[in-house]
Amino acid sequence: MSHIGSSAIRSDAWSKASGEAIYAYDYKEAGMLYGYLLRSRHAAGELVRLDLTKARAMPGVRAVICAADVPETLAGWSMLDTPLFARDRVRYIGEPIAAIAADSLAEAHAAAEEIDFEIIPGTPMLDMEAACRTDAPLVHADWQSYVPAEGSDFPRHGNVAAECSADPGGVDEIFATAPLVVEDEFTSQRQYQAYLEPKSAVAIYRDRRFIIHTGHQFPFNVRARVAQFMAVAPTDVRVLGHTIGGGFGGKLDYSVEPHAAALSKAAGGKPVKLANHRVEDLITANCRENTIVKMRSALDKDGNILARDVEAYMDNGAYTGEMSYMASFPFHLGAITYRVGKFRAVGKLVYTNTPPTGAMRGVSGPAMYAALENHMDNIAAKLGADRREYRLRHLFVDGDKLPNGQVLDNATILKRGFDEIEKIVPWSERPNNKSERPKSGKPSRTAPYKGSGLAAAIWLVNPLPGSLSLKLEEDGTVSVNTAATDNGSGVLAAGIPQIIAETLGIRPEQVRIPYPDTDVSAWDGGSQGGRTLQTVGLAAIEGAKEVRGKLLSHAAQLLQVDVSALTIKDGGIYLSGDTKRRMTVAEVATAATFSGAPIQGSGGAALPAVPYNPGCANGLLFPYFTSPTYHVHYAEVEVSPVSGNVAVTRYIVAQDVGRVINRASITGQIQGAVAQSIGYALYESMRFAEDGHIIEDNLQFYRLPLAVDIPRVEYIAMEQDSEEGPFGAKGSGEAPVLLPAAVITNAVRDAIGKPVRKIPITPEDVLEALDGIGE
Amino acid sequence: MQTTHSVTATINGRAETFEVVGLESLMDVLRNRLHLSGTKEGCREGECGACTVLLDGKPINSCAYIARAAEGREIETIEGLNDDLSYRLKQAIVETGGVQCGYCTPGIIVMLSSLLRRTDAPDEALIREALSGNICRCTGYAQIVDAVLAVIDGNKGAGS
Repeated sequence: MSHIGSSAIRSDAWSKASGEAIYAYDYKEAGMLYGYLLRSRHAAGELVRLDLTKARAMPGVRAVICAADVPETLAGWSMLDTPLFARDRVRYIGEPIAAIAADSLAEAHAAAEEIDFEIIPGTPMLDMEAACRTDAPLVHADWQSYVPAEGSDFPRHGNVAAECSADPGGVDEIFATAPLVVEDEFTSQRQYQAYLEPKSAVAIYRDRRFIIHTGHQFPFNVRARVAQFMAVAPTDVRVLGHTIGGGFGGKLDYSVEPHAAALSKAAGGKPVKLANHRVEDLITANCRENTIVKMRSALDKDGNILARDVEAYMDNGAYTGEMSYMASFPFHLGAITYRVGKFRAVGKLVYTNTPPTGAMRGVSGPAMYAALENHMDNIAAKLGADRREYRLRHLFVDGDKLPNGQVLDNATILKRGFDEIEKIVPWSERPNNKSERPKSGKPSRTAPYKGSGLAAAIWLVNPLPGSLSLKLEEDGTVSVNTAATDNGSGVLAAGIPQIIAETLGIRPEQVRIPYPDTDVSAWDGGSQGGRTLQTVGLAAIEGAKEVRGKLLSHAAQLLQVDVSALTIKDGGIYLSGDTKRRMTVAEVATAATFSGAPIQGSGGAALPAVPYNPGCANGLLFPYFTSPTYHVHYAEVEVSPVSGNVAVTRYIVAQDVGRVINRASITGQIQGAVAQSIGYALYESMRFAEDGHIIEDNLQFYRLPLAVDIPRVEYIAMEQDSEEGPFGAKGSGEAPVLLPAAVITNAVRDAIGKPVRKIPITPEDVLEALDGIGE
Repeated sequence: MQTTHSVTATINGRAETFEVVGLESLMDVLRNRLHLSGTKEGCREGECGACTVLLDGKPINSCAYIARAAEGREIETIEGLNDDLSYRLKQAIVETGGVQCGYCTPGIIVMLSSLLRRTDAPDEALIREALSGNICRCTGYAQIVDAVLAVIDGNKGAGS
C-alpha cells in the first residue's frame, strides 16, 4: 500500500494532545535565571540618560545590561540597521533599552522599575506617504552608512528602506489616450501572526559559546542573527530547536534569543530564560506589513488592459529584518494572473516609528491580491461586464509571462480551477440580492445581504535549499537529522516520514525526525514558503535512496544473490516475484552496523533557478517565482444591515498541489490558512494611535477568528505531478492564505453594492457604507 | 511585601498542598510549582483558553483564577484527564488531524471533555459554541469539530 496520499498520523500528535510535549515556552534549565526586557514606551525620542546602578543592586539580580554592555554592532537579516538595545535613540514602542536577569521574574520586574533613564520624546513618523516626501524627518539619520547583510546595495533613500521599480516607457501616453481608465486605492492593516505560544528562549554562555534553546522556524537564521549581534562566528552559537507553538513567519527571524544570550554571558554563564508576555509579544511582533496600494488600468473599448500603473507603500517599521525582499512583490503581483499590456510599478518599503514588520504566511501576497482582485471587480463593474467572464477572458494560460519575463508552463490549470468551482456552485446560481437592495435611503431591512466573490492567484515555493542525513537503526527504523522544523504543519511529523517510508519500503511511523541542533543537523532554509515538504522532500528521497541502495547491497551479500533480484516491502527483503520474506530490514541493518559499516545516507536539494529578464526592474531583490502554484477561491458572505457583521457562509478552494502527500495535513493547511485570512479580512484590526502605540494591543481587542466564525472550507486538490517535487508534490501549506481577503472583500462589495477599499472590513465600515446607499 | 499562603486542593485526584504568593494565578501554580506544563500559557488575560482546567468539574481559564481561591476545591488538568471519554477525545483529535502546533490542544481537550460530560450528543453548532473560548490559530477548527463528532458517533455505536 502506498503511503503517498494517505492520512498518516503525525508522530507528535499524542504528546501534544496529552500535554506531554515540552514547548520552548515550557523549557527550563537547572539553575536558570529569569530575564526581562525594559522596552521603550516612546515611539521616537532621544535616549539622554541611562543608569543601571540602582537596578544592579536590587535583590536577586544577577545581570543588568544595555547597549554599552554589548558589541557596538548593527545586525539584520537583509540590512544591517538594527541595534540589540537602543543606543542614543528609540525608534518604536517596545524597542529594548535594557535587560535584566534575576533569580525570579518578580525580582527582574522590580529591578526594571529601578532603571534610571530619560527619553526626550520626538514626533513619531507614522504616515508612509509623508515619510516619503523629500523634506520628511528621517527615522534613521545614518541610513546612508548602512550596508546590506549580503550582496550589493540596492535602491533606497531617506525613509525609503528599499525600492523596487519598473518603467517600460510609454505608460503615461497610453493612459492619456485610453478610452477608459479605472483607478483604485486599497489599504490593509498589519496582521499579527498570533501563534498561540509566545516567543521565548533560554540562552547559556558556556565554553565561550552561546547555546540557545528556542522554538524556531529557522534555526540557522537565528544562529546567524545571534552571531551578528554578539560579534562572533556563526559556529560560536549553537541553536537547539524545541516544539513550536505555531509560527506563521513570526518565528523566522530573531526575537529574544540574542538578548538572552547577552544576559547569560553577563550573568557568568547561568542559563537565562526570556519569555514574552502576550502583550509584549503582540506589540513587538514582526507583523505582516500594512500597505497602501494604488492601482490604475488603462482599457481599450473591449476592456483589454492596455497598461497598468501600480504604486505601493509597505510599512517597514523601524528596522528592516527581511523586508527588503518584499519590496519586489508589488512588481511581481501588480500584473499577474490576468494579462496586462505595459506595466509600470514602484514598491516602496518605508521606515516608520513602529515595530519592525516581517514575514507572515504568504508575505505581501494577501494585501496585493486583495488590491488586484478588487481592482478587477471595479474594472468589470465599470465595463458592465460579468466579473467571472471578465476574469476568464484575460486569464493567464500556458506560456504567459510574469512581469519579470518568467514563462509559466502550467498556467492553464487556473482555468481548471474556475471550472472545478463552477461544478460545485454554478456562477449563475450564486447568491444575489441586487433586486432587493434599496435604491435610496437607509436600508430598512434586517435580513442579511448576500454576496459572492471569486479570485485567482499564482504563488511560489520559497527557493532556499534544504538537506538532511539519515541513519538506519538496528531495529529497522530510520532516524533523520536535519535543521528543517515542523512548526505545526505536520511536514516532519508525517509528510517527510511518508516520503522516506515510501522510498525505503518501511512504515511512516518507523521514521523519526527530532528537533534540530545546529551543531549536528544539516543546513535547512527554514519552515517557510511551503518549501519544507517540497525541498526537504526531494532531499529525503535522495538520502533514502542511498540508504536503500546500501541496504540492498548488504542484503545481497548476506543472501548471496544479485542485488537486482532484491526488493523491499513492508520492512522485509524479498526476492523479486517471490512472496517469501528472506530477511527483515532490521536484520540487515543490524548485520551492517556490527560489521562496522552502518547504513547511512544524506541528501540535499534546491529548487531549480528560473530564467527571467534581469533588466525588468530596478532593485528586484526577489527575482522570480520558483515552482509556481495556481489557486482559485470562491466565497459567499452574508452581511447584516443591523450589526454590520459579515459572516462567511461558504468557502471553496481549488488549488494546484502537484500531488497530495498527506490528506489530513493538506486539509488542515487549507482550512487553517483560510481561517487566518478570514481574520485578516474581517476581524484582526491593528491600528496605531497618534503617539505610535498599537490600539488593539492584546487578544481581547486584537480579535482572532473563533470556531463560531469559520465555515468548513470545501477544497479541490488539483493534482498534476510536478517534476520539481517529491512524488510530484508541490509546497501547499502557505498559498491558501493568499486569496480569502480578496474574495471576501469582493463578496462584501457584491452584497452591499458599495466598494470596499480597506481591510479589515469592520462592522463600522459596513454600517457606514450602508448608510451611504443611494447617496 | 506579598504574603504567602499555604493552599490545599485536590489536583488530578490527589491532595496537594502548595505555597502561593499574593495573587498568584492557578496557572502559575500548576505550571511552575507542580510542573504540570500541559496547562499552557498563551495570554495571561483569559482570552485564548490554552490554560483551561476543570475546577469542580467546570472549565475555567486558570490564568485568570487566583490560586488561593482553589482551597478545598477539585482541579483537573490535561494530565489528569485519563478517563475513557477523554482518552477517546485525544485519540479522535489525533486521528482527524485536529492537532497542528498543538499549543491550544490540551485546553481544547479539557473544554471538550467538559462539554461531553454535560451533553451526550451536542450538534456542531453547540460544539463550536463550546469552543469559542479556545483560540486555535492553526487548524481553522474543522478537524477539531470532526474529532468531537467522531467520539459522539462512537458513543452511538457503543449504545446500539
